[in-house]
Amino acid sequence: MTQDAVLGEMRSLREKVAGITGTAVASRDGLIIREDTGGAVDPDNLAALSAAWLSVAQRMSTEAGQGSLREAMTRSSGGWVAIYAVAASAVLVLIGDEGLDITTLRSESRKALDAIGALLSGPEE
Amino acid sequence: MGTPDHHADNVPGPLRQALLGCAADRLSGVLRVAGRPGGTVHFSDGGIIAAETPGAPGLEVILFRSGRVDELGWDAAFAAAAATGREMRNELIGRELVGAGELEALSRLAIADAVFAMAYGTVEDYRTETSASAAPMVTLEPGDEAGWLLAETSRRIRSLSPFAGRAHARIAMAPGAVRPGLPVSGGRDKLAALADGRRTPRDLAFALGRGVYATLLELGRMQADGLMIVADPGPARPAEAAAAGLPPAAADSAEAIESLPRRRRDHASAAVRAGTRDLPAAFRLLRLRYGEGTASGGAK
Repeated sequence: MTQDAVLGEMRSLREKVAGITGTAVASRDGLIIREDTGGAVDPDNLAALSAAWLSVAQRMSTEAGQGSLREAMTRSSGGWVAIYAVAASAVLVLIGDEGLDITTLRSESRKALDAIGALLSGPEE
Repeated sequence: MGTPDHHADNVPGPLRQALLGCAADRLSGVLRVAGRPGGTVHFSDGGIIAAETPGAPGLEVILFRSGRVDELGWDAAFAAAAATGREMRNELIGRELVGAGELEALSRLAIADAVFAMAYGTVEDYRTETSASAAPMVTLEPGDEAGWLLAETSRRIRSLSPFAGRAHARIAMAPGAVRPGLPVSGGRDKLAALADGRRTPRDLAFALGRGVYATLLELGRMQADGLMIVADPGPARPAEAAAAGLPPAAADSAEAIESLPRRRRDHASAAVRAGTRDLPAAFRLLRLRYGEGTASGGAK
C-alpha cells in the first residue's frame, strides 16, 4: 500500500541519521498521518504541537525577513526535536537523542521531505 | 615491541594516519573525521583532550544519564564557568559535583569510546583545523597520547565477539529471555528493558549513559547466553549498497496517498484553517487538543 511508502521514507531517514529515536508526519491542521515513535510519545499531541509550532516558526521567519522556513529545532537536556514543512500540506517532526547527527540530518532530511511531499500530493479530496 | 598487541591494523587506515599525524604535528585544533558515524577529535599540543561523535555518548550524557551529576548542578557550574572564564572541569570539581579522579577517568573513557565508535564504523575522509574555538565544555588535561589511544581502540575492536549487524543492528530480547530471574550483572535488566527491536547498541548506550563499547560487549555476552537477538541487521552501508548496484532508497515512482486526514467542518476546523494567518487560532487548537485529552479522551 502507498501508506507504507510514507512510513518507509520515515524509517529510511531513521536508518540513515544516527540519533533519531522517532518520527511522525502530521497534517497542517494537526492530525497524525503516520507515526514511527515506538510508543515513546503521544502521537496525537505530537501532531497537534508540530502543526502549531510550524505555523509559529514560519511566521517568525517571515517576521524576521528571512524567507522560507527550512527547519525549526529545540535542544533540551535530553535531546532534540526538529520540524520541517512537507510541501504545503503537512509537517515532518523528528525526535532525537543528544547524539543526533545534525550534519547528516541536514543533507538527508531534504531528500526525505521531497519524497514524502510527492507521496502526499495526491488529488485533492 | 613490549606491547602485547599485534600490529594494530583493525583501525581504519585514514583514522590511524590522521591521529598519528596530528600528534606528530603537535596540533592544537580539531580533526574532523568524515564517515559513519564520523566525529571530531580535539587536540591540544598534540594531545587528545576531547572527542565527539554521533556514534557514542559524550561526557555530558554519561554524567547526566548515569545520575552522577544532576541538571541543576551542571547548569549552575556552566553559568559560573561562563561568567568567570574558569574551566568547566574545575567548576564541576570545585562544586563537588564530581571528584577530580572520577572526572578524569570518565573523560578518558568518553574519548576512548568516541574514537572506538569512529574506528568501528566507516571512515571516508578527514581534515584538520587549527582553531581552538569549538572546544567542548569539559576537556582532559593533559590529553591522551595518540599511540596509546590507537592501541586501546584496536584492543577493543579485537575483543568484541563478532556479533552480527554490529553497531547498526536493531536489538531485541530473545523470546522468553525477560523473566524475573534475569541476571542483573552488567546492567542486563536495564538493557533488557530498552532492547525493543528499534534501538541499536548505540541508541542503548545513549539511553543508558553508558559507553557504546561496554554496551556492545555486554550485548555480545547476552547473545552468547541466548538472551538477545538481532531483530534487524540494519541497512547495508552506503558503500556496500553502491558496490552491489542497489538503487537509492527514494521511491520516486510511488503513487500518492489518496487523501490526507481532514478535520470535520466544526469549530476546531474553522480555527485551524485560519491557523497560518491567525496565530491565536493555532493555540486554540492546542487547547482543544489537550482539553479533549484530559476530559474523556473519547469524543473527537
